[in-house]
Amino acid sequence: MSHLGERVSALIDGELGHTEREKAFAHLAGCDDCRAEVDALRSLKNRLRSLAPTGIPADLTMSLLRMGEPGGPIPPRARPLPSLRGYGPADNRPPRAAAFTAPAKRKPGGGRARRVRYVAVGVASAAVALGTLFAIGGVDNTPGVVPPVEMFANQHKISVQEPATTVRPAP
Amino acid sequence: MVLLCLFVSNPAHAVVPVDPGEGEDTGLPLLRSAAGAGRDRGYTGVQFVTSWGRGGSRASLVEITHVPGRGSTLRTPATGTSGSTEVLAADPGDQLPSGGLTAPSEGMLDILSRNYRVADVGRGSVCGRASRIVEARRGDGTAAARFWIDEKTSLLLRREIIDSSGRIAHAGAFIDLRIDGTAAKNIVVATPFTPLETTRLADLRNKGWSFPGTLPGRLELFAAADGLAPSGPYLHLSYSDGLSVLSVFVQRGRLDESRLVGWHSQRLRDHTIWVRNAATQETVWAGGGHIYTVLANAPGDTVDAAIQALPHEPPPGVWDQLVRGFGRVVAWVNPFE
Repeated sequence: MSHLGERVSALIDGELGHTEREKAFAHLAGCDDCRAEVDALRSLKNRLRSLAPTGIPADLTMSLLRMGEPGGPIPPRARPLPSLRGYGPADNRPPRAAAFTAPAKRKPGGGRARRVRYVAVGVASAAVALGTLFAIGGVDNTPGVVPPVEMFANQHKISVQEPATTVRPAP
Repeated sequence: MVLLCLFVSNPAHAVVPVDPGEGEDTGLPLLRSAAGAGRDRGYTGVQFVTSWGRGGSRASLVEITHVPGRGSTLRTPATGTSGSTEVLAADPGDQLPSGGLTAPSEGMLDILSRNYRVADVGRGSVCGRASRIVEARRGDGTAAARFWIDEKTSLLLRREIIDSSGRIAHAGAFIDLRIDGTAAKNIVVATPFTPLETTRLADLRNKGWSFPGTLPGRLELFAAADGLAPSGPYLHLSYSDGLSVLSVFVQRGRLDESRLVGWHSQRLRDHTIWVRNAATQETVWAGGGHIYTVLANAPGDTVDAAIQALPHEPPPGVWDQLVRGFGRVVAWVNPFE
């Protein structure tokens, strides 16, 4: 059997299976190098385990907690519809001066032009939608009817019993 | 013979006046007798019928043969422009709600007495026969109709309908009359008047029809029935003030104006009505998803007032059109419809 190699750590941690562990112990009985390596590694782990827990500095804890509070320095992101305020969550970001990153360089009037484009697209879309509804609603699908006036006239004449126009040809 | 009767007989308007104060409501029994005689007596004669409507006057001659218990046969003789026509009418007292204008039913007489004062105003002559003259008067004392009733047989010999401005709107009179000597052995009893049942009206309204119970000009709804025409179901409403009859036919749908041949349009307020210059003053219009057809034997002003009182909803506006379009889109995408 070759030297234990990486299996030393697994043997110390008890992660080897029963057969593997038996083979490893048999190898250690005849291999001084591996036995020495196992002893050294076990000794190191025991020393690490015996070390006292190290406390987190209070200022580091507070800094981490402040990152979760509103107004934290969340990096800015591009909004698809900047004019539609209120549609998304409230913007709690601090003023640009307090941001960690430097404000992005923007073209003079670029935001206004984009807003105008958005408004124009919205108005056009609404106009198309209303026009479509108007056209659909204006088409009267009910079938056209012509009153059977002659039939009605006969009924009316019978009720007044005064024939004034043709009802049926005489034989 | 007919013309001889026309010109030799005393003028129908030769009224021998009596004290008008004595005539208050005294004419109603005479009219009832006339209605009964119109059913019970056998007779043959020729009447002229003249109407003054929107397009002027129309006149025709009608040959009438009445056999008690069997009804009347009405024939319009052939003229130079039209052929002979014939109508077989049922006995008015048996089937017709109105009983016809020549033999009005008790219901029509009741409506007449509610709307007018009926007075016996004197004596006259029609076609050489002595007659009593009965006048139906409005509340202001003006005459709405006059009837000439044969003194011997109680048959109605002449009838005039007068509009609110005092002009004759409709006139019909015998110009030749031959009485069947043998009166009916089995007197035909007039059908008792049965008022239009409220359950019948409720049934029609439950079917989705809406209609007024009265119309301007003292017109009361006295008959209502629904039927089926080739173009769909319809409602037939009959209104009368006791003198005139106005029929209203209501259908559901959209009026196909492109197929109205022989009609001409008129503006009434903000919408269009279609009229035809016929004796019955035919009028058609659409409103609120319904089509209305009015035919009337009534003075023109009465017809116009009634037409204006019937529904005339304006065409749908922009908002209505949008809502209708939205409803259709929803219906298209709704899988449950």
